[in-house]
Amino acid sequence: MTAVMKQDATIGFVGNPNSGKTTLFNAFSGANLKVANWPGVTVEKVEGMMKFKNQRYKLVDLPGTYSLTSYTMEEQVARNYILSDDVDVIVDVVDASSLERNLYLTLQLLELGKPVVVALNMMDIVEKRGLEIDMHRLPEMLGVPVIPVSARKRKGLSVLMHAVHHHINAKHPDKLIHGHDFTSARESKHAHEHHRDYTMVYSDEIEDKIDLIIDELRSRYPEIRNYRWHALKLLERDQEITEKYPLDMPDVIDRSYESDIINEKYDFISEIMNEVIMNRAEREASTDKVDAVLTNKYWSIPIFLGIIGVVFFLTFFVGDFFKGYFEIAINWLGQAAASGLTSAGASPGLISLVSDGIIAGVGSILTFLPNIFMLFLALAFLEDSGYMSRVAYVMDGIMGHLGLSGRAFIPLILGFGCTVPAIMASRALETKKDRFRVMLITPFMSCSARLTVYILFSEMFFPKHAMLAAYSLYVIGFVTAMLVALIIHLFDKTETDHQLLIELPEYKAPSARTVLIYVGEKVKDYLSKAGTIIFIASIVMWFIMNFGIHGYTSDVSMSIGANIGKAIVPFFRPLGLGYWQLALALIAGISAKEVVVSSTAVLYGVSNINAAAGMSTLAGLLGASGFTALNAYCLMIFCLLYVPCAATLAVIKRESESWKWTGFVALFQISVAWVITFAVYHIGTLLI
Amino acid sequence: MTLDLGKPGSTYIIKGMELPQTIEKHLEALGMTYGTKVDVLNNKSKGTLIIKVRGTRFAVGKGISGKIEVSD
Repeated sequence: MTAVMKQDATIGFVGNPNSGKTTLFNAFSGANLKVANWPGVTVEKVEGMMKFKNQRYKLVDLPGTYSLTSYTMEEQVARNYILSDDVDVIVDVVDASSLERNLYLTLQLLELGKPVVVALNMMDIVEKRGLEIDMHRLPEMLGVPVIPVSARKRKGLSVLMHAVHHHINAKHPDKLIHGHDFTSARESKHAHEHHRDYTMVYSDEIEDKIDLIIDELRSRYPEIRNYRWHALKLLERDQEITEKYPLDMPDVIDRSYESDIINEKYDFISEIMNEVIMNRAEREASTDKVDAVLTNKYWSIPIFLGIIGVVFFLTFFVGDFFKGYFEIAINWLGQAAASGLTSAGASPGLISLVSDGIIAGVGSILTFLPNIFMLFLALAFLEDSGYMSRVAYVMDGIMGHLGLSGRAFIPLILGFGCTVPAIMASRALETKKDRFRVMLITPFMSCSARLTVYILFSEMFFPKHAMLAAYSLYVIGFVTAMLVALIIHLFDKTETDHQLLIELPEYKAPSARTVLIYVGEKVKDYLSKAGTIIFIASIVMWFIMNFGIHGYTSDVSMSIGANIGKAIVPFFRPLGLGYWQLALALIAGISAKEVVVSSTAVLYGVSNINAAAGMSTLAGLLGASGFTALNAYCLMIFCLLYVPCAATLAVIKRESESWKWTGFVALFQISVAWVITFAVYHIGTLLI
Repeated sequence: MTLDLGKPGSTYIIKGMELPQTIEKHLEALGMTYGTKVDVLNNKSKGTLIIKVRGTRFAVGKGISGKIEVSD
């Protein structure tokens, strides 16, 4: 068979969630990914490119799904894409350690009629359990190539591509040897023609109906290419297909045969399992042993808290260790730029823009890179090891008291990293009500951008207890989120059924590559934010500080910025934040929370804000105007609770598809921030 | 009995379920159909379970487990 000589052949990667599909996809495509949304829906589309035997391949990572019905957006996207002309061959990623469930999707894919190559992943787990899969019999029964791979160890990849290369034109399974026991229950008059042509052959009752429907479809809709699949979908009363190709056959399609079709597929899968799995001695999988501890009735919650503690330890202590070196480098860069520009004869205005504006603003953010890196590394580790989904089980009871499913806890933890992906993760929640509530409370979870504010102000005003001060903000954010959920739950009269349902994958050592790609993406995001939003905000801030209505001015109090700051300062005065510079920094912080730090640096003209010298300068400036530790704490609380950033609002709008809800979330967060900061400031004043 | 009363270490057989259609369809796609064997691996006493169906582990809340009829 010769491969197609198309410019770019397209390979669609399909598989169950947790089958290692994305790891395999990354192994092929590397980090050069193009991430977008599928047209019209909020389902992520990831594309990559590769070359094999002088043929260029476009790789498309389809959403992970268990079936190809039309009940969820992900499934619709996957099946419509496979049916379209855009895809030439499908790589079906199958988790060998749960072969039975994964083959269900495989059987459905085969019915779509496109060339399929099965990538049998996680064989190492199967081997560890002492099982063997008959690699001769399995492809024989499925009628398509089955290639054992290890996505994690990057093994079997070229063999898989070789199979793809050869089967790209294979529209039908070639050699099907089912070996059904024809003399007994499965005797069938369809046996002769069908068992040779189709992998999945149904009972006579259904096969008879399929034949009748195909005849009717042929005459009424000659444009259809895959009659058998459409006939099956009509028998299942699939909404999308029934609307697209209505047939008037009440005698044949007298009810939905969906359950029958599902059951017969699983019956056939049992047949396959009996034939291909050798040494079926049930060994206790190591996952069960680990789960006995991690999901233990009494220990699960203390262990969970311990793990979160380790995540914070890595972020603060280990991250801070490296942060010191970054500060030295940024400081050196600032001085080098200033002296370089001076010797080049640049004007004082330009020198000030570069060193007081750009380097002060952007540099103050870059120094936090080690902290951000450690945090995302820890989160990636939790996700890739399989622990994250256990959190849903562990927290289900507690979340139930707040009217939420245990699964809602996953976006909350991800919120420690960045609110934007955390809100996107709320998609996986079971009900719309849960999704909207999670969108409302997730922004209270303290994200890594806010960390920059805590580190700066707690090191300046709580030098001996900086860690404690920063930790306390994480706790306040978390408690606020929980209290808001509880209050909504208490006022909500409708009955809540927590319908938690989540797959718990096998534990595995995280793949270094997957973790690094994940962390790399986040670091790239962070750097590009420093290069764009924060860069622009720093320049804008410098301009409005150095220009008044009459042009360039050296008197800050006459600048445009000072006038804006003074106009909004009454709103912040009751919170102990009656300083126009800080008011301006907080407003600018809506673009991104790090901007609060970079703006403070620009506004007070401190270029090395994170180094000890810069901090004592800033602390001195603030202290001289009566700004105490209490004011600093109020600033941090307000930063924790008010609107996280413009990107968060954008993602809430996209996910909720409602401007009204987005506006409500923004107003709600500002109000909560104001009320709580007000309370803390006034109680604090009484105590001190 | 219903699945939420299942004891860890025991195996049950699904006899029926009464859940909203979308959830029922989802469970069917996962292979939880009439007559399927379910192993209960863990039960947090409030009906939140870890079960194993057709070789895959799932965590299910009481909202679902309480509405799945099973027999020993």
